[in-house]
Amino acid sequence: MTNEKMEQRLAAALEKTAPDDVSGVLSRCEARKGTVINMKTKKTTKRSWTSLIAACLAVMLLGGGLFYQRANAVASVVSLDVNPSIELKVNRSEKVLVCTPLNEDAKAILADMSNGADLKGAKLDVAVNAIVGSLVRNGYLDSISSAIMISVEDKDAARAEKLQRELTSAVDGVLQTSEAKAAVLTQTLTQDAAREQQARENNISTGKAALVNRVLALNATLKFDALAKLSVEELKDLAEAGAPAMPIGKDAAAYAAEQYAGTTALDSVTAEVDPELDESPAHYEVELHTAWGEFEYLVDAYTGKVLSGQKDLLAAASTPNATTKPAAPSEAAQNIGHAKAKSIALNHAGVSENEAYDMEIELDDEDGTLVYEVEFKSGGMEYSYEINAASGAILKHEAEIDD
Amino acid sequence: MLSMLMTTEYAPAEERRELRQLLLRVAGGDRDALAELYQRTRSAVYGLALSYLKNAHDAQDLTQDVYVQVWDCAAQYRSTGSPMGWLLTICRNLCLMRLRREERHAALSEEEWDAIPAQECGLNADERTLLQGALASLADEERRIVLLHAVTGMKHREIAALLELPLPTVLSKYHRALKKMRIFLEGDDAR
Repeated sequence: MTNEKMEQRLAAALEKTAPDDVSGVLSRCEARKGTVINMKTKKTTKRSWTSLIAACLAVMLLGGGLFYQRANAVASVVSLDVNPSIELKVNRSEKVLVCTPLNEDAKAILADMSNGADLKGAKLDVAVNAIVGSLVRNGYLDSISSAIMISVEDKDAARAEKLQRELTSAVDGVLQTSEAKAAVLTQTLTQDAAREQQARENNISTGKAALVNRVLALNATLKFDALAKLSVEELKDLAEAGAPAMPIGKDAAAYAAEQYAGTTALDSVTAEVDPELDESPAHYEVELHTAWGEFEYLVDAYTGKVLSGQKDLLAAASTPNATTKPAAPSEAAQNIGHAKAKSIALNHAGVSENEAYDMEIELDDEDGTLVYEVEFKSGGMEYSYEINAASGAILKHEAEIDD
Repeated sequence: MLSMLMTTEYAPAEERRELRQLLLRVAGGDRDALAELYQRTRSAVYGLALSYLKNAHDAQDLTQDVYVQVWDCAAQYRSTGSPMGWLLTICRNLCLMRLRREERHAALSEEEWDAIPAQECGLNADERTLLQGALASLADEERRIVLLHAVTGMKHREIAALLELPLPTVLSKYHRALKKMRIFLEGDDAR
């Protein structure tokens, strides 16, 4: 039997054994998750009441016995914040007592763990691993600039430090084995009643509240509740940039881009927003995914003005070659950058960065359009790409045998 | 330029364009597109899942999870990348995550290769021998490479990128694996 024949038979056999249950898949695809990361912090006054009642009940239940009390006493509070905020209360032996999703995004993350109930009784590192896994699966930690913050709050500073170290290495481990590239931020906190109050009122974790306070210390004219709605990544960058003003937020940035593109009426257009508050000028990078391609917009983070991107996509879509036209005149200084150009080319070629060598990247002006020329070699092949420096669109690509 | 021009993808450009189109429609919430994508790619996804999880039942479960995840994350697909590569990367990540989770719960001893599903699926005797016997004679990675090559039509270079292995490793494992399978099916003189 020839190799080819053997492979064909193998493919045929697998075809027979592969599941064929479309309806089973579709039945699990009801709730559509948005790609724009929402920060819905519904302010409910009820919540504080229910938690007060719950706290009273808990105190009553805990009266049962000293042993029981100790095992169920909260020793540390660990919070994980990306955009979903999740709080874990842990006893002295690092077992999870309660796992609480603090916002709507967090509920989605914990959905397949019975809203966090499944994690009760688990060792802290196992629980954190499961949560980070779910964050990765839900795409929260994909981008190189995304950030996850781990905060440990404990009266005992030494124990907080120890937990902190363990968790950081656990999270690093998960991130390394998956393809996530997020930064891990950490902090240890001592308990603070005022901060706890602020956190509860805004449905965020105390860890995130501490980060918000750090930004507020830089610019007292900003508002706590508005800052609480930003993601950890935005807050971190804002703090690093000295908090010059209030960013408009991802939702507003996506909306500004859609308005500029004239696609607000189309349900099929989805947006992916990446905050770049640490760049100058600070901006949001909005990618609109449309039926006829992908378009990138840069939106000023403080004014909401669209800095670059293609206007009125609907009009442009009817003319052929719309995607390869230069995007906008004003983006001389706005471009995707070397690193992005490189990753676009590698991604397209299906070559990972460590397999590529003789990498050359040049910014060039082609008839008024700025393009990146990316050239590299890998696996006996030579690749060359021309990439629109404003939109990231591949204008030309070639692969030939390296001789 | 004397050198030959090559496409950078495993599949004919047409198929790649169609899969890409399907993913974009899935991103827009089109359920029919998901159903079609499933039909066209399920054996490839299943084959990769089977190579990691080593038993038909778990691989079937995981295949379903992959498409649920595709539904949730289709908007993150970059239309410059290979659609099949993207799909299989999701599959691989889910497999690795599941294996890690199982490792934590119980230190499973080397699991037996069990590629025949419990329910009837119309396999003939030859196919059973191939799927169960011949593949069982391979090491994990050899099996994975052969399955990917047979079911997805991916090139070795793309398989290397997906599995994060050097290309020469993939090539040598692939050839060794096919030889082992032939020996299993046809006896020692198959060399």
